[in-house]
Amino acid sequence: MSGHSLTPEEYKSGKKAVYSTTVKLTLITIAEVALALAWSHLFPGSGKLLLNLLLVGMGLLKAFWIMGEFMHLKYETRDFVLSILVPVLLLLWFIVALLYDSSYWLNIRNVFAID
Amino acid sequence: MANVQTTDRKKLWGGAAEPFMASYGKVMMWFFLVSDCFSFSGLLITYGSFRFSNPTWPDPNQVFNAMPFMHSKVPLGFVSIMTFILILSSVFVVRAVQEGKMMNRKGVVMWMIGAILGGAAFLGCQAWEWTHLIQHGMTLHTPIHYELADGTVFHGPKLFGQLFFLITGFHGFHVLTGVIINILVTYYAAKGVYEKRGHYEMIEKVGLYWHFVDLVWVFVFLLFYLI
Repeated sequence: MSGHSLTPEEYKSGKKAVYSTTVKLTLITIAEVALALAWSHLFPGSGKLLLNLLLVGMGLLKAFWIMGEFMHLKYETRDFVLSILVPVLLLLWFIVALLYDSSYWLNIRNVFAID
Repeated sequence: MANVQTTDRKKLWGGAAEPFMASYGKVMMWFFLVSDCFSFSGLLITYGSFRFSNPTWPDPNQVFNAMPFMHSKVPLGFVSIMTFILILSSVFVVRAVQEGKMMNRKGVVMWMIGAILGGAAFLGCQAWEWTHLIQHGMTLHTPIHYELADGTVFHGPKLFGQLFFLITGFHGFHVLTGVIINILVTYYAAKGVYEKRGHYEMIEKVGLYWHFVDLVWVFVFLLFYLI
């Protein structure tokens, strides 16, 4: 197992992929912050639901790039990727269940004006 | 029997030492990270549900607007710098892994030192931010408050500070352990332990943990500072 495990071409293309991912991550972070700051000026009184959905989408995109490129998941076998991602899908139910519960509490708090 | 053995070995794990064509150590690091992901998800989803169930919640643009050495307010400025530092630190580790695959000891050590400095800088920023917030009255038992544009003072729920310190603290603890482990493997790399071993896989495994810390920060940043 000793010696180089990358050919010079693989090394070069790998370097390029890393730097382009860095640029993409930086740009999307700048876009996120700009959007969060400018939203209420750009669309006054439009509510924050659309903004929040956009921000969550951008966050998931960043997570996808970090896992795919930096953590090398893009280059692993399909079964390995599935054995990591399928358990994580359980979280969807966790989110739905807790948000459903909190909408009930929000309603109670609004109706009875308690803290 | 012959047919069974000629099954495409590239796709399936044949029962050899390397499940999923990745080394055992890497696979187990991934499974540890999946379990750690559940810990963080538990905390972050709890934060989300508490936030959603409260009619009033502090505006992050008003809470996180301080910048060291500056008197004017810069909403989200400091945390953007922290985010960028952590991304860069992650990139340095990827470069170290690539140099490791080329058996370039000096390159590995150089990039890893960059990653360690990035992690330490992030921790320093977080210490400054915590100190600032505590000095301005947000602690575990006193709520966040700030002046609104019309001169009235907004008092948030105590829960905001409690969840903030719990979750960023748990993340900061991960960064701290990551920095310590990075220092350890950089020392071994510099001493030539991995060169003698013939591969720099340890950098890859530790790197996975470091990227995970960055990955969690994406969501902490999203939920606390942006939304």
